[in-house]
Amino acid sequence: MTFFNRVFWRPDVDDEVDEELAFHVEMRTRELVARGMSFDAARREAERRLGDRARIRATLHRLGTGRNRYMRRTQYLSELRQDIVFAMRQLLKNPGFAAIAVLTLALGIGGTTAIFSAVYAVVLRPIPLFEPERLFVVGESFQGLPSSMSVGNYVDANAGVTAFEGLAAEQFANFNLSDAGSAERVIGGRVTANYFDVLGAQPLAGRVFTADEDSPGRDLVVVLSHRLWVRRFGGRPIVGTSIRINGRNSVVTGVMTAAFDLTSDGEELWVPIAFTPERKAMHDEHYLSVYGRLARGVSTQQALQQLESVAARLRHDFPRDAGELHYSMQSFREQFVGSYRSRLFILLGAVGLVLLIACGNVANLLLARGAARGREIAVRTALGAGRGRIVRQLLTESAVLALTAAAAGLVLAHWFITGVVAASPPGVPRLEQARVDPVALGFALAIAIACSVLCGLAPALRLARREIQTGLREGGRGSTRGGFRDRLRASLIAAEVALSLLLLVGAGLLIRSALALQQVNPGFDPHGVLSARVALPQTSYGDPAHARDTFQRLADDVANAPGVTHSAVASYAAMGPGGGSNGLLTEDAGAFDLRKLIQSQLRIITPDFFAAMRIPIVKGRGFTADDRRGGLKVMIVSETLAARAFPGQNPIGKRIGCCEQGSDGAPSYKVVVGVAGDVRSRGPATRPNPEFYLPLTQAPDAAWDWIGRTMYVVARTDGDPQALAPPLRAALARIDPDLPLFDVRQMDQRLTATLATARFNTLLLSLLGAVGLLLAASGIYGVIAYFVSQRTQEIGVRIALGASSADVVRLVLREAMRPVALGAAVGVAAALGASRLLSSQLFNVSPTDPLTIAAVVITLVAVALVASVIPARRAAAVDPTRALQWE
Amino acid sequence: MDRIPPPSTELLHGTLDALILKTLAGGRLHGYAIAQVIEAATGEAIVVEEGSLYPALYRMERKGWIEAEWGVSESGRRAKFYRLTPRGRRQLAVQTAEWARFSAAISRVLLAT
Repeated sequence: MTFFNRVFWRPDVDDEVDEELAFHVEMRTRELVARGMSFDAARREAERRLGDRARIRATLHRLGTGRNRYMRRTQYLSELRQDIVFAMRQLLKNPGFAAIAVLTLALGIGGTTAIFSAVYAVVLRPIPLFEPERLFVVGESFQGLPSSMSVGNYVDANAGVTAFEGLAAEQFANFNLSDAGSAERVIGGRVTANYFDVLGAQPLAGRVFTADEDSPGRDLVVVLSHRLWVRRFGGRPIVGTSIRINGRNSVVTGVMTAAFDLTSDGEELWVPIAFTPERKAMHDEHYLSVYGRLARGVSTQQALQQLESVAARLRHDFPRDAGELHYSMQSFREQFVGSYRSRLFILLGAVGLVLLIACGNVANLLLARGAARGREIAVRTALGAGRGRIVRQLLTESAVLALTAAAAGLVLAHWFITGVVAASPPGVPRLEQARVDPVALGFALAIAIACSVLCGLAPALRLARREIQTGLREGGRGSTRGGFRDRLRASLIAAEVALSLLLLVGAGLLIRSALALQQVNPGFDPHGVLSARVALPQTSYGDPAHARDTFQRLADDVANAPGVTHSAVASYAAMGPGGGSNGLLTEDAGAFDLRKLIQSQLRIITPDFFAAMRIPIVKGRGFTADDRRGGLKVMIVSETLAARAFPGQNPIGKRIGCCEQGSDGAPSYKVVVGVAGDVRSRGPATRPNPEFYLPLTQAPDAAWDWIGRTMYVVARTDGDPQALAPPLRAALARIDPDLPLFDVRQMDQRLTATLATARFNTLLLSLLGAVGLLLAASGIYGVIAYFVSQRTQEIGVRIALGASSADVVRLVLREAMRPVALGAAVGVAAALGASRLLSSQLFNVSPTDPLTIAAVVITLVAVALVASVIPARRAAAVDPTRALQWE
Repeated sequence: MDRIPPPSTELLHGTLDALILKTLAGGRLHGYAIAQVIEAATGEAIVVEEGSLYPALYRMERKGWIEAEWGVSESGRRAKFYRLTPRGRRQLAVQTAEWARFSAAISRVLLAT
């Protein structure tokens, strides 16, 4: 209260009331005395007429307090308006200063807002499903590794668990859409009837599947995604009509809402999965994604316990297929957002550092301008403005600055977002939904306010603290503590250096990783190879022999296509989707024991695959046309598999059981005839997995279901690989004109794509590092230039006394480098602590890589030196006579 | 209430405000003087009670119709003076017009023969 009393010259409400009432009583008394009453009687009568004094006092106190509060607010608002108008005039009066400060902050605010809106779109925005926090992805773990679920394990978990309102299963698959003339390949899901219920999604039109339709023979129905409906069917009424899927007519029962297109590359249609009774008894073959909606009031722990008791029973009942079965649960959100959460938050942190550096620069600009405004402030103080009032006015100025910058920053953010979305690697969920929306707007406003305090408070406090007399006497030229002993400015430099060092170390580590990744030999030669995929629909290619013969014909036709030097078909090539793995058991291992299984990636190939991919055969031989069906069953193993299965032995001639059972139920053994070089199948950053190869001719019949009758065609040429696409398409059309050749890409493009996310992060962080460095350099330059200008006189004296210009340059540099060194030390310490956050994104580089840190420190110091040399040389050129005349 | 209340305060809420505004239209006055002037002008038909006068003054100050300042009274004592603001002047015009309409309407009923 006292503070406001002083500011607004208002007496305390109680004093005011008491005095006013006392005056009233006194006047009344006087009047009565004048009419002839005695003083005492008059006094009593006056008091009586006043009535209940305590009550009046209380009423007036309440009214008076409310009145004061209201008037304070009115006054505050009118002062705020004055301050804002004044601040704008000030900015317009110094357009150069205003432009630099606004642009600097706009860059920081715009960048931060852009990355924030990406974080918001991908990570923070609620998932548009009913109560997504109750949704979980239920999987299996095999030898501690997560895996998809087998049908049997799904069916039993669904039957044996009450913790979920439902468990729904989905098998991702590609579908051939072949109505309306053009054949097209779309991603879709085979799902159980409760799939949409469990996810909590309603159709936009029509209905989803009934349980009845989720059974073999009645399953020729399909639900379309909104995207497919609009894209392919123009959004016209379609429920109840038939469309051609995988060569069969299916009735469209419903269309989902646009919100159910969770990502831009998700499923485009769903059909019933329609398990056969035999399938439901299969505990091998793990390919289901299972979603569970936790029942209300049930904990994850309880659900896991129920799942575990089912798993225990299955382990006991099916020791061979489910001997090591455990179930696992992961929140749907976690699975959905994946590793992008940490990547995006790291980017947000980096861009936040840039913003801080920008704030440092603007604080420095405000300081410099504050020094020039010393006289103005002193005059205002002398005229009665309190320190609080001055600080408020100066903060209003920086707030106007920051809000102007936020407005400009939002425009920049819009461009940045467009750029980020365009340049981002494919598959970042929901990134395309990032935009400058009300949330981003609120965020920009909030950080603008924070910035205005951050960069405005210190200069404002310093200005307001200055003695009035000093300000008036100095004539608004100098500052109270001139020169290099200015702690505030020196710590600004130190902070900017530390922040940009942190940024650059992050960028440096990522760049080192990127370089390391380029050195990695993927195990094959991706140049000059075109790859594409072909899927045979089960309806017309259900017979394993038919599928086998078709792919064999395709391989032969492609081999004869013009320009092709080597070619093959393969169930999996490299760096793409597809593929599968099997458990292998060597003959030497003896009796079946789950723990001795070696999980290995399967490739069913035609003989020329190794030549087409240039994968070396390091031992033994490759496949030949003589490896026929019915002949000796042969296998080629990768080096990693050979080392794992036969450590220290020659693998050639050894026998490995896998993939199928012999006629008598015994393992079906294959003889190892060759060892192939390791391939980093999932990208250069991944470790080579154990892999094995079977010839197409000897492919197990069951394998066609495992791989969905989908194979890669790979063809090598001496010319342009893209030129092979038309002959490949022609070859496929000769075999079956209804089949689309899809996912046509050059092998080196696939390789590049696996690194897209890493490259994107590296690019962005390097960009941010460069911007940070630039801002820091300009900040250092500004401060040193200011220091020099403040000490022109002293330097003049030194030169007059015989100091050489080298002495002067040395002096300035020495003083300038002190805060730089301090900042670098702090920055290195911070980097050592913080770079661990990056470790998941690093490849063959330690988060505390001394080389990177040293390089960054040297770069920074060099840049800081350059930034200080310019003002230092200016100092050395000072004309002593001019300098001494200054006063 | 053992006393018959002055008819005006009970009769019409807000009339006191109008009377105060009208009184202040002549120049700045302290609270006691306002009461005196009103009483004198109405021939003591209306007695302004302190318990109504001061709350009314505080309220009108809050509304910005009047403003207060401390000054020295005719008797040489510190006193709080009230003065009409431009807004108060407008308010007075509004209330006067309203009162004229209102009293004419009442008159037409009560004084009808």
